[in-house]
Amino acid sequence: MSQDHFQEDQETDQYTKQTIENGFSRRSFLSRAAGGAAAAGLFGLSSLPAAAAGPTKTKDLEFATSTDGGATLSFLPKPKPIRDREIAETLTFDVVVVGAGASGVPAALSAAENGAKVAVIQKAPFALSQGNTGSGVDLATSEKAGIEALVARLIADSNHRCNPKLIRQWAYHSGEAVRWVIDRARQGGSPVVDQGSPAQRAILKVNGYSMGYVTSFFGPKPYTTGDGMRHLAKTAEKAGVRFFYRTPAVQLVQNKAGEVLGVIAKGPNGKYTKFLAKKGVILATGDYQNNKAMSDYFVPDVKHLERKQLDKTGDGFALAYWAGGVIEPIGHTKMLHDFDAGPASMCDMPFLAVDRKGRRFVNETVEMSLLNNYLRDAENAGHYSQIFDSNYMTQAATWPGKLVPPEGLKNYMPDDPSPKKGVFESQVNTHVADTIEELARKLEADPAILVATVKRYNEVVASGKDSDFGKPADRLIPVVKAPFYGIHRRVRVSAICSGMLVDENHQALNAEGKPIKGLFLIGNLGGGFYGGVDYPLTVFGLSLGRCYTFGYLTGKHVAKL
Amino acid sequence: MKQMIVPKQAAALLVLLLTALPGGSLAAGPVVKGQVARTSKHATQGITCAQCHGKAAKKSVVAMQQCLGCHGDTKELAARTAQVKPTNPHENRHFGTEADCNRCHHEHATSENLCLPCHLRFGFKVP
Repeated sequence: MSQDHFQEDQETDQYTKQTIENGFSRRSFLSRAAGGAAAAGLFGLSSLPAAAAGPTKTKDLEFATSTDGGATLSFLPKPKPIRDREIAETLTFDVVVVGAGASGVPAALSAAENGAKVAVIQKAPFALSQGNTGSGVDLATSEKAGIEALVARLIADSNHRCNPKLIRQWAYHSGEAVRWVIDRARQGGSPVVDQGSPAQRAILKVNGYSMGYVTSFFGPKPYTTGDGMRHLAKTAEKAGVRFFYRTPAVQLVQNKAGEVLGVIAKGPNGKYTKFLAKKGVILATGDYQNNKAMSDYFVPDVKHLERKQLDKTGDGFALAYWAGGVIEPIGHTKMLHDFDAGPASMCDMPFLAVDRKGRRFVNETVEMSLLNNYLRDAENAGHYSQIFDSNYMTQAATWPGKLVPPEGLKNYMPDDPSPKKGVFESQVNTHVADTIEELARKLEADPAILVATVKRYNEVVASGKDSDFGKPADRLIPVVKAPFYGIHRRVRVSAICSGMLVDENHQALNAEGKPIKGLFLIGNLGGGFYGGVDYPLTVFGLSLGRCYTFGYLTGKHVAKL
Repeated sequence: MKQMIVPKQAAALLVLLLTALPGGSLAAGPVVKGQVARTSKHATQGITCAQCHGKAAKKSVVAMQQCLGCHGDTKELAARTAQVKPTNPHENRHFGTEADCNRCHHEHATSENLCLPCHLRFGFKVP
């Protein structure tokens, strides 16, 4: 992309410039494959010479292949358009939303409440989402300087690589949006509650300024936001939204000028339906973690890490990319947690931590959300264990987080016969044993290695200085008094939260930075909201809060077009 | 050579060839009709290829509706397995009763337990 173009356009921000220059669009892909970045910017999408319209497979592979041969750019070949005679039925709406999740269902309802005739098409048999908490800023109880301080914190969390406009948009509209989701989900029968500011203890003051929050909680488990979105979908149905389940989107309908006019989807009967959208198509299809080629290419860090979701195959990425959209540059932001194996409130407590074999590997003050970076290899694959002894309730009493007493830990122990409450029974993985060897076996670690690790750790603790990893002295407590406890966590991919280039209306931009008429991208498909190596846990529930907010705003915006 | 291939590997190889060559017929390459049939549990009960795959020369992946034609309604199936411990595999949070049969039950390869490894201890035996 030529520098001159941007000097002419004073409006284009740093984030957008960067994404256009280094992101992936059909145009940049074709240009680079055809002979390097010098060719970029010379041709508009529609004026590409015919010969360049379809790079050969060989060229794709030559252009981008990782050293193990696994990552290539050949994952998004544009299919031949489905012909009209293959279409069994054509339906016309004002707004068509693709994907019934935490951004799609709010977008559909919001559009319907603003007068639009709305269809939602969804690949799965019902609405789906994950997690419990979704958050927003309560403007009434927040100082303006505090909101700006929080925005600055979130930008820093994203290593200063996000689009600040989108962070501000979340900050100033999320309170209203999250409250609206709570109200409308309740109308559909959800037991959702607002946990408010107490759920955000660590950020009630930001840089000394006061803040208040709206914190929606769809829980406790096994009730999740998935159930919550199904309840919200009931409200949406009452508001006139039509849901088409088991109906995956296959292609967008575009005219020659590149405007998006609708979506073609395949119904459960195997037949195509054309959904025309008079005002716009909103893609809310989520991330691509189950698409191996895309994952290996854009976020190779998670190659060996397990996935939490199913069928997140990046369908919307393909649709928007074929339509001229721009995928954010390589190095996408990932979200990896394990709040299930043991108490979530103890996940960041700096107990001795050991890798899958039983070796100490980190200064344990590193947060769980970052530990995946130490455990990316095939052997560890995200597995580690927190180890502590029976003095933990007193010795770790002043640490940040919240300790769960031994009786409560039984709720997380698969070997304990007590009935489980508020957890996923198949995910709990906390253990207790009278010896370190026995604990190691329960944690699936190597007993000899774990015994040696604990012995060395206790020496370090006794010396009062962590000469191995430099952990602060007040975070050093010994592992000496039986019974011994271990929480076997495995951080898995909850989401990949980088996406495709959008403006503040969440309208997709093409490789020239121009809006693609009729195409809007929200949820984890929308780009610009993150940018760091890992999803930040500064605001609990930021991810869902952002999905609700941008769904709410985009539904309203498109309905009013 | 033939005798050296254990059945499991042979089945996997055949599936690989079938899925990797969507345009190829069953007779393409080293794959011959009889071998494919031998990997099929249905074939031992006298069910022909065409009953599932149709008569077209190009054999495509069988849609779930085809399974239901003989095996019956998904909700009835879910009711029959309602007591399976630790949870009913045919009614779950991800797909309700509408999980595609083929995700676990394979015809020309060893079936798999899709619940593992995410759900520790969901040790279903999948026929």
